[in-house]
Amino acid sequence: MGIKCVAIRTSAEPDAMYLSYADIIHEEEDENAEIPVFLDIEKLINVAVASKCDALHPGYGFLAENAYFAEKCRDHGITFIGPSPDAIYKMGNKPVARQIAMRHGIPMAMGTPGNVADEDEALKHAARIGYPVIIKAASGGGGRGMRIVRQESEMEKMFILASREAEKAFNDPSVFIEKYIENPKHIEFQILGDTHGNIIHLGERECSIQRKHQKLLEEAPSPALDEELRQRMGETAVRIASAVGYYSAGTVEFLLDSDRNFYFMEMNTRIQVEHPVTEMITGIDLIEQQIRIAGGEALTLKQEDIRLTGWAIECRINAEDVQAGFAPSPGRIEKISFPEEPGIRVDTGVRAGSSIVASYDSMVAKLIVTGTDRRQAIRNTKIALDKVWIKGTKTTLPFFRMLMRNHLFQEGTFTTAFIEKDLEKFHTSSEYEETIAAWLATKLFVEENLTDNKTNINFDQSRELTPWLLRKRLTQF
Amino acid sequence: MKPDKPSIKKLYALSTEGHKFSFSLPLKNVIRVNGRDYNIELREDEKYGIHILWKNRRYPVEIVRTKQNRYEILFNDIGHIFTVETPISMQRKKVLGAGRSKSGTLTVRAPMPGKIIDVLVRENAEVIKGEALVILEAMKMQNEIQSVVSGRVTRVGVKAGQNVMKDDMLAEITVK
Repeated sequence: MGIKCVAIRTSAEPDAMYLSYADIIHEEEDENAEIPVFLDIEKLINVAVASKCDALHPGYGFLAENAYFAEKCRDHGITFIGPSPDAIYKMGNKPVARQIAMRHGIPMAMGTPGNVADEDEALKHAARIGYPVIIKAASGGGGRGMRIVRQESEMEKMFILASREAEKAFNDPSVFIEKYIENPKHIEFQILGDTHGNIIHLGERECSIQRKHQKLLEEAPSPALDEELRQRMGETAVRIASAVGYYSAGTVEFLLDSDRNFYFMEMNTRIQVEHPVTEMITGIDLIEQQIRIAGGEALTLKQEDIRLTGWAIECRINAEDVQAGFAPSPGRIEKISFPEEPGIRVDTGVRAGSSIVASYDSMVAKLIVTGTDRRQAIRNTKIALDKVWIKGTKTTLPFFRMLMRNHLFQEGTFTTAFIEKDLEKFHTSSEYEETIAAWLATKLFVEENLTDNKTNINFDQSRELTPWLLRKRLTQF
Repeated sequence: MKPDKPSIKKLYALSTEGHKFSFSLPLKNVIRVNGRDYNIELREDEKYGIHILWKNRRYPVEIVRTKQNRYEILFNDIGHIFTVETPISMQRKKVLGAGRSKSGTLTVRAPMPGKIIDVLVRENAEVIKGEALVILEAMKMQNEIQSVVSGRVTRVGVKAGQNVMKDDMLAEITVK
């Protein structure tokens, strides 16, 4: 769009890839800082003012949903590329959001009207709503401070845990309680609104493939929706957004139960990680739209212009060890390459030599693959996944390779409980793969113990081998 | 100089899942699938790093750790652990294995580096299988580290607020 761009270099990632896209790089020595610079409102504003920024895009993590930050930007004459501070506050504070939704007749799961003070009050509310219930952090997100309570006896422990977790994560211990809907689908709608009061939706995203409330794979559209349901849910999403005078891109999240009832969960007042799947099937660049809207332009798109064409699947390739329950696996990326073909999009912030540092998120890349329909998209994803090459850290690739071959996934009937309930293993490896690995182990053994030749394998990791021990044992018999 | 071992004709690779693979010596660069031999090559180049070439496809491979005859290998992004045994050590292993009793002490280790948010058990506490022992935060996620056995906690190795490295001892549990 011909806009000059300022980026901040941090001590944690001094040669991060995003810096290569920047026109101006601001150096920030934050090695000894208490909080990362991307969470330091005062510092960020200072940088923006000093580098004469007109506008600031908050991304999708850190301060993207911080109303105070948005307000500070405005106070300093910097356009915040996102919704108004008021909309962020109203939708970010869940009890407030619930009250607004209730006033506008938006379907919701039964819950407490506001925050719950203590365990005793929690027990009373839960008895009225009926177990199972879910305790949620009032200022929460991303699954933190959330606890499912299945029976009365668990309430006290879970309430304290949830509240403590909420305080640690969001500086706010307040929690509220909602009916827990078993095995729902997570369906969200992309919203676009301008500062002139126009609001449209860009269809849904299916985000039911999640683990501990963290999404792993998203697709658009959802196999669970037909045109009629899409229209009803889309209209509801627009109604919620209108209720807070929403502008910019936003997402309205719903739970969809097996009887096709949907319940408003929350609204994310920012662009989301999974926005590319919507871009791929609508052909609309959401970030461009955000920037135009922030500049005061009116939407040129009308609801009837929005056509969903084809199917898109996004795999979040994270540095996580699938075999160790998705434990983070930080490390240095030694080699990385992706398929470069039409219909495949890769969003990544790393390259060979980059480190996945423990201080930030574990995301390595987003692989977005399209197809004319869902079957085709799954087939294309399967092929694309085999062409992704990452060395240096364990990733979630084995999980997606398994998922593409899973029948429940292929049928599209999975719910948010899929990973916890329907999967026994998070990866598959065929017998020949294991045979090859066994062959390699045997080869190493032979070269280390049974031959005089030096091994021709380049060990780049440390070894703890004590060959004399082995030799001793072998000669004993 | 190591002496030649002409007496060993076979090696076994045992996976932690109990699968057994046998290879004749001298080891050939082939893998047999359904009675057909396929060549296998271990290669390294600038673009892909160390990899295995098999049936016209490249697979990423990594030797993660070797300790005595134990090999941890990452093949096609999936980790495998094998112990390689000679026919004689295999026999000895069987004899030793038969005498081992089931009870004992289990050490719970940190599955990943991170920060201990909360310690939920004390020394001498009875725990049941699946009970949360500590809450470990890593990369924005809070993880409950659960006991995989029922027993008594004989040692707690961490405090809330402490940072731990992967494989640090969190607790010791004496199995009931």
